[in-house]
Amino acid sequence: MTRYALGIDIGGTFTDVVLFDTEQGRRLTRKTLTTPGDPAVAVMQAVDQVLAEESIPPGEIERVVHATTLFTNALIEHKGARTALLTTAGFRDSLEIGRERKYDLYDLAAKKPRQLVPRDLRWEVDERMLADGAVHRALDVAALDDIASRLDGAGVTSLAIVFLHSYRNDSHERAAGERIAELLPDLAVSLSSDVAPEIREFERASTTVANAYIKPLARDYLNALSERLGARDITAPLLLMLSSGGLTHVGEVRRSPVQMLESGPAAGALAAADIGRAEGLEHVLAFDMGGTTAKLCLIDGDEPEIAYRFEAAREKRFAEGSGLPIRISAVELIEIGAGGGSIARLDGLGLLKAGPDSAGAVPGPVAYGRGGTAPTVTDADFALGYLGAEGFAGGAIEVDLASCRAALDALAGQAGLTPEQLAWGVHDLVNENMASAARVHIAEKGRDPRNYTLVATGGAGPVHAYYLAKKLGIRRVVCPRNAGVASALGLLLAPARVDRTAAFAAELDDMDWAKLEAAYQGLEAEARQVIADTGKSDARVQRLADMRNIGQGFELVVNLPTGPYSHDSGANLAEAYARAYQTHFTRPPPNVPVAIAAIRVRLTAPVEAAVNDLAGRGVQSSARSGRREVYFPEADGWVEAAVLDRAAMTIGDEFSGPAVVEEPESTMVIGPGGRFHVSANGNLIIELPEAAS
Amino acid sequence: MSQLDAVTLEVIWNRMIASVDEAAKAIVRTSFSTLSNEANDFACVLTDADGQLLAQNSGSIPSFIGTLPATVRHTLARFGRDGLHPGDVICTNDPWQGTGHLNDVSIVRPIFRDGNLIAFAATASHMPDIGGRIRSVEAREIFEEGFHIPLMKILRAGEADQTFFELLRTQVRTPEQTEGDIYAQITANYLIEDRVLAMLSEYGLKDLSELSLELNGRTEAAMRAAIADIPDGDYHYEMQTDGLRAGAPFTFALKLTVRGETVHFDFTGTSPEQPRAINCPFCYTYAMSAYAIKCALLPDIPNNSGMLRPITVEAPENSLLNPLPPAAVGARASTGHYVPILAFGALAKVMPERVMAAAGSPLWNCTQSGVRPNGQSYASNLFFNGGMGATVGSDGESVISWPSNLSCTPVEVAEQYAPLLFHYKRLRPNSGGGGQFRGGLGQDVLIENLSDSPIAVTFMAERTRFGAPGLAGGSDGEVGSVQIDGVEADNRAQHHLQKGARIKIATPGGGGYGPGKERREEDIKADHFFGYVEKD
Repeated sequence: MTRYALGIDIGGTFTDVVLFDTEQGRRLTRKTLTTPGDPAVAVMQAVDQVLAEESIPPGEIERVVHATTLFTNALIEHKGARTALLTTAGFRDSLEIGRERKYDLYDLAAKKPRQLVPRDLRWEVDERMLADGAVHRALDVAALDDIASRLDGAGVTSLAIVFLHSYRNDSHERAAGERIAELLPDLAVSLSSDVAPEIREFERASTTVANAYIKPLARDYLNALSERLGARDITAPLLLMLSSGGLTHVGEVRRSPVQMLESGPAAGALAAADIGRAEGLEHVLAFDMGGTTAKLCLIDGDEPEIAYRFEAAREKRFAEGSGLPIRISAVELIEIGAGGGSIARLDGLGLLKAGPDSAGAVPGPVAYGRGGTAPTVTDADFALGYLGAEGFAGGAIEVDLASCRAALDALAGQAGLTPEQLAWGVHDLVNENMASAARVHIAEKGRDPRNYTLVATGGAGPVHAYYLAKKLGIRRVVCPRNAGVASALGLLLAPARVDRTAAFAAELDDMDWAKLEAAYQGLEAEARQVIADTGKSDARVQRLADMRNIGQGFELVVNLPTGPYSHDSGANLAEAYARAYQTHFTRPPPNVPVAIAAIRVRLTAPVEAAVNDLAGRGVQSSARSGRREVYFPEADGWVEAAVLDRAAMTIGDEFSGPAVVEEPESTMVIGPGGRFHVSANGNLIIELPEAAS
Repeated sequence: MSQLDAVTLEVIWNRMIASVDEAAKAIVRTSFSTLSNEANDFACVLTDADGQLLAQNSGSIPSFIGTLPATVRHTLARFGRDGLHPGDVICTNDPWQGTGHLNDVSIVRPIFRDGNLIAFAATASHMPDIGGRIRSVEAREIFEEGFHIPLMKILRAGEADQTFFELLRTQVRTPEQTEGDIYAQITANYLIEDRVLAMLSEYGLKDLSELSLELNGRTEAAMRAAIADIPDGDYHYEMQTDGLRAGAPFTFALKLTVRGETVHFDFTGTSPEQPRAINCPFCYTYAMSAYAIKCALLPDIPNNSGMLRPITVEAPENSLLNPLPPAAVGARASTGHYVPILAFGALAKVMPERVMAAAGSPLWNCTQSGVRPNGQSYASNLFFNGGMGATVGSDGESVISWPSNLSCTPVEVAEQYAPLLFHYKRLRPNSGGGGQFRGGLGQDVLIENLSDSPIAVTFMAERTRFGAPGLAGGSDGEVGSVQIDGVEADNRAQHHLQKGARIKIATPGGGGYGPGKERREEDIKADHFFGYVEKD
């Protein structure tokens, strides 16, 4: 009998493990410190503990789903494979030249983001395709022998091959890849036509090089993890979370690990989407705040939106443009340098700042007593009474309130503020930073924040959700149970998923429909194979296309009607484009012919044992665990507020603020006038009072 | 809690910046111009009722520093407070009252609360087309450069002036898109108004005057303190640039006067205005001067008027840096981009560690027009950048846009759009000026014409005769060059190329910093190892 699903989420600081009982809707959770040297150590430790807790036989685990920041960290810390790049003759510098832009306009020593392959490891070979895919110069296969011996001599373990126009004709890349593989069978090879078959040589190269850079690491790590799970008699297939919020099998990630870069945040967004679905919410703003960053993601309808580009490993203060461009399907979200560890200070104008610099896990907030001396957001949250020192983090951390207050008082003195004003200022300011980023992101999508419900997850999310919502004009906040490990829970919800893309340039008015249909079917067949290898059969197929009016410099990714297409499909595709255009630009498209630049397919297959009760249910009777002094600005200061134990709450219980609701992994803060109850799904639903003004 | 303490001010300032950043995203999302939506060639601002800048969108390029607040003040001067009413929208693309060329349209919206004028929302954006000649420095007068909109109301109390829009549509090549982009700006201005009014309600503020005093006051004080650290004196710098023809270079001269807490730019001695579209209106000269000071002294503080108050600028009338109507100004950047270099050259006399050696800028381009095999005509415009100058402690970055921020067109996109074949696009070894810190490299690009019919080609190219000067003993960057079929070409003239003709573009490197003999051994080795410097 198999009835358990296991979710494993490795973050920068913590590894979260969730064991879910699919029959009874119960879950066992464990948070443990990540072991960066060998991440599988922490994973196995946590898995052993949850299994031991209720003596669950490993054989009863039906599937294991995994997300990790390991590969992202390798990019940030430049700890990947010794990687080389092979390009068309004349273009080995494309990677270093980039798009010739800078991300900081006022920094005279500005640098482009550091590339992963230095110039001495970038080689060229004679070959050339034209823009229409015609061969202009044949591949000089003989020259590859010499290149292979130089790769070998330089100790390269992974190679990216990026030839011009390979998104139109990949034959040279394939031929070169095959020849090199014959000569150097141990070398990992990544082809750009395979990893990111899209026009624009720099972005395609950046994506392919990132893939190559983490490929040996991914191979070794996944092999090791599979082996260790096997050694514990966990024989269920290991499935991996993609940045798109879908699952795939190990082989697919070994081929293209770059798809896994945003797996953790994607899982968090999926969890929020599921909570929204359960509560019948149409518009959800997922808010996940941890130790160093906060992530925000808009979910309209059932699923988070997908973007087809993002930046990995941003170097400077999360600044746009300071990362490596990556062209893959990824859940669209924004990441802000605002977390519990964000450091508070005064700037050159005497104004208070919170973040983006973070105290991280080490030395951490002053209150953690691990050597931190700079006051952080978490310190302010302790000083305000939002976090309770007693039993914090389930008793794992001994809180040093005296040092925490002393650090805040010193800063208050410099700013000419009372300690309360300063602490509230830090809390308010970090909320304002997140609200600003959210407002700008929401404006970018042309939406209105007041139509959204905030779903708060992560260790610090519930602490800041109430006043963040207030700033955004949001009237309702949802806080799930086990909010601190929501991403690991989200892993158990993901469908199997494959995204594939191919270049296809044609005007709608002049379309060879048989050719278009064949191209879509080709991609679908490829994607179906991956779904089958993941252990699923029936997949939902969504066709998409990158479309534009001729003469425009940018494309929209458009959801298309289902196939098959024939000569009378033109009107339907044009209509789909017009609808997408109207949504994006808020006006109908100009009367100019429409062209397709690339086609995409997305196949999804839901998990069989639907985990429809992630929210869980409390069973004990309601009980207050006490009261403490908490600072609320709308009450003009300190108020004796109720401190409630989340585990003791029952469905249907109703409360009113001011209050704090405590769980081992997080604390939900509710201001005066706020009303909240436990929904039928076990979620806390918090209604904010109407704005005073 | 006092109303405007260190926390409240910071929160409200963030909120105001978010409101203009929101407007910026709305423009990116809805505008047709790729210069707006890919190169951030636009700006959104909020000013107080007197046209003092409170917030400018975070990504806007330096050309717009101070220009929109000036346009707001021109609006006040033209219509008076009593002449402005709720729902009015004011428009101009006048180079002298706007941003320096006709391609940018500025839109101003007065914001009222309880019947009182309390603020202005203003935006400027590069149009997809504004009529006139296409991207040519050939224009002799502004009349050739496109549709010229004087400062005027295009909406009165919310009613659009149909005559204006009909005229506009008739004058430009892309009527729907140009009109659409102007409406995108109007929407963005409305969004700023909405956010600011909500913020005032939330914080119980009557208007922006107290905020403006406090924020601009603090920033002004910080700028004054930073300037006070510079020793008083008159600092001179002079530089020659290519000019329009061989043997007749332009002279740029600057006397930078630092007195106490103020800095004054005087460009007396700069060459006269030219009968070509390379003249740089004073507003752009001012923006580039202020940009240089901000980079050197206060790079991290958001733009507002307080920052600008201690900085004054003068340039002789009818000079390259202060041309008067009807001078042609379309390519103002190819002159204006020299201005921050002049400022750094002068400041280097007293604070070399805060500035940068000259960059291999202004920006280059190559425009080709021709006919495709199917008979369609096309025009393709490619940008190319040189290397950045070195600073104390850091080599200049190679091949990067400065002081602007324009992306290059990917080779694959360029080849898909036009019948061209790139043979290479690569770093240009040895082009960075030597020194303790090396200038950034330029690039070498070789492009072949694949078109069966001849194509017409023009260039914007600078520093082909005078390299980017080094600083503090560093060497000059290598000059750039344009060759056609291996022969040095006149980059100021139009060329007609047959199939198979090859254009070689070599962009200039940045200047070096500090004496070359001080360069660390490992940096010299690395330069050779990576091939950034090649031995003869």
